Amino acid sequence: MSAVATQPETVRHEAVEPVATVEGFSLSLVRDGARTEVLHDVDLVIRPGEVLGLVGESGSGKSVLALSLLGLLPQASRPQSTGTVSVTGVDMVAADEATRRRVRRDALGAIFQDPMTSLNPTMRVGRQLREVTHDDDESVRLLETVGVRDATLRLRVYPHELSGGLRQRVMAAIAVAGRPRLVVADEPTTALDVTVQAQLLDLLRELRDDFGCSVLLITHDLAVADQIADRLAVMYRGELVEVGPAAQVVRAPQHDYTRSLLASRLSLGSPRDERFAAPGADAPAAVVVEGARREFGTRRRGQTVAAVDGVDLRIAAGEALAVVGESGSGKSTLLRMIAGLDRPTSGTVEVVGGGGAQMVFQDAGSSLTPWLTVGETLAERLRGRRLPRADVRARVEDALAVVGLGPEVARARPAQLSGGQRQRVALARATIVPPSVLLCDEPTSALDAALAKSVLALIRDLRARFGMTVVFVTHDLAVARLMGDRIAVMSAGRVVEVGPPDQVIDDPQHDYTRSLLAAVPELVGRTEGAA
Amino acid sequence: MLRFLARRLGAAVVILLVLSFVVFFLQQVSPGDPARAYVGANASTATVDAEREQLGLDDPFFVQYGRFLAGAVTGDLGRSLRTRHAVTDDLQTYLPATAELVLAAFGLALVLAALFALSATRRWPGAAPLRGVLLVLASAPPFLLALVGIIVFFGRLGWLPAGGRGDYVDPGPTGMLVLDTLLHGQTDAFLDAVWHLVLPATVLAIAPAVAIGRIFRASLDGALETDYVRTARSKGLTERRVLAHHVVRNSVGPTLAMAGLQLGFMFAGVVVVEQVFSWPGIGNYLAASIPVADFPAIAGVTLVLGAVYVLTNTLVDLLQAVCDPRVVAE
Amino acid sequence: MSTTFVPRARLRPGTVSGLDIARPVNLALVGVLVLVTLVAALARVLAPYDPIQPVGPLNLPPFSPGHLLGTDSIGRDLLSRTLVGVQSSWFSALAVVAVGLVVGGTVGVVAGASGGRVDAVLMRVTDLFLALPGALVAIAIVAALGPGLTHTLVGVVIVWWPYYARILRGEVKALAARPHVEAARLVGTGRFRLLSRHLLPGVVPTAIVTASLDVGNVVLLLAGLSFLGLGQQAPAPELGADTSRALSQLLSQWWVPGIPGLAVLVLTLVANLGGDAIRNLVSGRR
Repeated sequence: MSAVATQPETVRHEAVEPVATVEGFSLSLVRDGARTEVLHDVDLVIRPGEVLGLVGESGSGKSVLALSLLGLLPQASRPQSTGTVSVTGVDMVAADEATRRRVRRDALGAIFQDPMTSLNPTMRVGRQLREVTHDDDESVRLLETVGVRDATLRLRVYPHELSGGLRQRVMAAIAVAGRPRLVVADEPTTALDVTVQAQLLDLLRELRDDFGCSVLLITHDLAVADQIADRLAVMYRGELVEVGPAAQVVRAPQHDYTRSLLASRLSLGSPRDERFAAPGADAPAAVVVEGARREFGTRRRGQTVAAVDGVDLRIAAGEALAVVGESGSGKSTLLRMIAGLDRPTSGTVEVVGGGGAQMVFQDAGSSLTPWLTVGETLAERLRGRRLPRADVRARVEDALAVVGLGPEVARARPAQLSGGQRQRVALARATIVPPSVLLCDEPTSALDAALAKSVLALIRDLRARFGMTVVFVTHDLAVARLMGDRIAVMSAGRVVEVGPPDQVIDDPQHDYTRSLLAAVPELVGRTEGAA
Repeated sequence: MLRFLARRLGAAVVILLVLSFVVFFLQQVSPGDPARAYVGANASTATVDAEREQLGLDDPFFVQYGRFLAGAVTGDLGRSLRTRHAVTDDLQTYLPATAELVLAAFGLALVLAALFALSATRRWPGAAPLRGVLLVLASAPPFLLALVGIIVFFGRLGWLPAGGRGDYVDPGPTGMLVLDTLLHGQTDAFLDAVWHLVLPATVLAIAPAVAIGRIFRASLDGALETDYVRTARSKGLTERRVLAHHVVRNSVGPTLAMAGLQLGFMFAGVVVVEQVFSWPGIGNYLAASIPVADFPAIAGVTLVLGAVYVLTNTLVDLLQAVCDPRVVAE
Repeated sequence: MSTTFVPRARLRPGTVSGLDIARPVNLALVGVLVLVTLVAALARVLAPYDPIQPVGPLNLPPFSPGHLLGTDSIGRDLLSRTLVGVQSSWFSALAVVAVGLVVGGTVGVVAGASGGRVDAVLMRVTDLFLALPGALVAIAIVAALGPGLTHTLVGVVIVWWPYYARILRGEVKALAARPHVEAARLVGTGRFRLLSRHLLPGVVPTAIVTASLDVGNVVLLLAGLSFLGLGQQAPAPELGADTSRALSQLLSQWWVPGIPGLAVLVLTLVANLGGDAIRNLVSGRR
């Protein structure tokens, strides 16, 4: 491979010189002792001033491509590549470290996924900015540009004193400080609440308009990319399967994978399940929550905050209630109180009737005991019934079959299963003895779109099969609409609005619900260049 | 920060109280009879009883502890059974030599630890053999290292002295020869003092150096993998700057904690090393006190070194808080 | 809960050597560990002479006929003394680690699993012990109890158990915070079963690794105490004490003080490398 790539002839005919060019780029890395190819023959051009959305599921290689562009491939995994990745004419993989560093300083900016860990915890925000601005006045101006209020005061604080959204704004300020030609944003909104996500996407777009830089927006969510991207590139298993104007990719996808990605995406317009009829007003209650309040102590002695601040709910037997809210809204605490894992400080939370409540957790992997086999875990719910061993095995296999898993899974340990399989095992554990209430705490938020969709379908099937009451907690309005006969919107520990999905989504009564709805990214397929 | 400071200092006081109680308790359960020891084996029962009365040994337990504590605070640690001097005076005589040895060894340990860690992280040539040698040396008991050192550097090569601090008289004021001779501009004496210090300090430094270096290295490697270092690199900072401003600062916390802990091990190791090298310090004093069950002396040494250890670790805690703002917030 | 003076670094088990080695090498190192234990167990059988009685000429150098490692200043066989000394050192170290692990482990697991006030009180006490300079307090304890092997072991265990309590409590806490414990509770698993099936199995690897990495440290500490005359009393052979008593022969007959010291080095090395190997094997990394 040559040390510094010359501009390839093939892109000369473009009207303007591209900011970055990826040509025939294949890359292999050593992972867990084995060399695997993570990128295969990737061709991509990023033009000046455009927002390019790079979309793909986890493990598709999109983050590795970002690191290649930044010239920051982890040396520990001994990268080997063919082809070129050039930014402003410099090969960011083959050039020597000093040259790549200069390109990073002069032409590149980066925003990474996790705002909690991407800033140095022991350095004041001001100093981290000064490393790129070399001047506090400039830092203040930049912070104001990215929408940080009281910018002068913020220079003095440490990152842990800022909220996630603010930290990501600081990251954005650092990224654009050097007037870069290209900003690489790798899943910049994944860790943020939906309303904050909308603000940050707007910001990225404004920065492009103000600074004239190009933006590479990497995300797993097609709709997020579509919010602000001029063009979209779709990545699947290390290959770029489709590149084109956003409108074209969204409206007339060429590749099967893009089509399946679009199909698996849930939106506020996805068809709902017609199996379930909303229970009548006289249906018996399964869960009754009255004036429930849960306070937690804070650092300061004697001070408390109410995670759940006076909630009244009546969930009828056989009904599915979806609880929607952002992080910190109290929705998980409410669920834990219904499960009996937490007690209200005042008020009552009651599960009526026998059968009890079972729960499915957000992270299925860590909700299964790592050293027990799936069979042992499932059999635990059958203890106390004194069943003969053969009966236990039969029941375990039945339960696995119901969630679509084969009997051999009973012998596996959680670490040997995929994320989707683990969530199915968790569902099997909850339903091997059908409970009267099934509680779901964001069971699909860690799964890729297609997997998430199938798990959601499974939960609806289980509900129909066992006639369970379901309480489903999620941050995603589209999921809530699909899963709930009613939606309860929570904010700051209170239920601000309850109603059937159509009513809540088409005619929201509360301001918070409206802002939540406005922030939901929907596929629009804008035409290129339209601002 | 002030609250944090107050809390840590309060904790240090509690720990010092516990230390004093432990030492006092041990003194009580130790089989020797101080009264008999002070007046001599041939004294009559009446004399011994009078001495007991005098020392207050028949008083209730907590009255005696109160007296012991009051004494410790005012600098009265009783009388050594062996030297017949006040333990405080003995400590004043022997402590400076030990302080000199421990400080030199501690400094050396920190330097070696930094070399050990940085050479591994930055993949310097010769790093692997250096680490191998240090690892084997760290598995050796200090007395074996001292032995080998004396045999090789004194016996075979004649480069270094076998023991002692040399013949020069300390001109004061600290009692640490290296420092005092330097203060007075006595070059010959200074070189002689350093010459005597090299072998014992090295022997004492090796095990702590490896322990501290291992933690430092692990912290450096961990910090190099973090997201914020990736951010720093994406800014286009030089590798040197990334290391100095983003990596090292975030690695010193655990390293400092380990260094504080190792200091405690050095106080025990120094007893052995001083004995082998005939170093006229507090460790030799302690080693001589053990066989004759001179418990006032043992208690005094434990109390003083223990207090130094507790205070050093309080300092380490505060340093960690200065280095990492999150420690205060916890 | 706020803790003072907890040397966090010490509480995180890592390898002693930091080396990354292949599985067969790890197994071989564990084999050496077993071999040393066997030799220590059979020391009295393997020793060619009575370790306490003079059996030959004085101060014979190593490789003398009939005395592989030579003899000491009163004509005792050094090989026999060293073998029996190794037995005492090795099993003493294993005993300290085992007792420390049982005592500290129990305190740590009880504290971590109970939480609340029990946890706070137990950990306060543990932290107080950790804040004291362990080796120095051990010297004071043995000096107060009077020298002798049993007293030495008691003294060392008293300052050693808090480390295990801290580490295992942290491990139990971390495990208890995982959703799988809540999930098990929700399924209706009883308290005892929760502890025995869903918590303790997760602690065992950490306990094994921590303990095996610690044997070398204890061998060194015990040798140091023995050197100061705080271990077995003469004429019983003990590695540290044998070196200390023969210091005057250092420049004339190096082997008399040197060989017991070398034996300590070998034991510590074997313990450290073996500990690393066990850690590598347990953590399943290659």
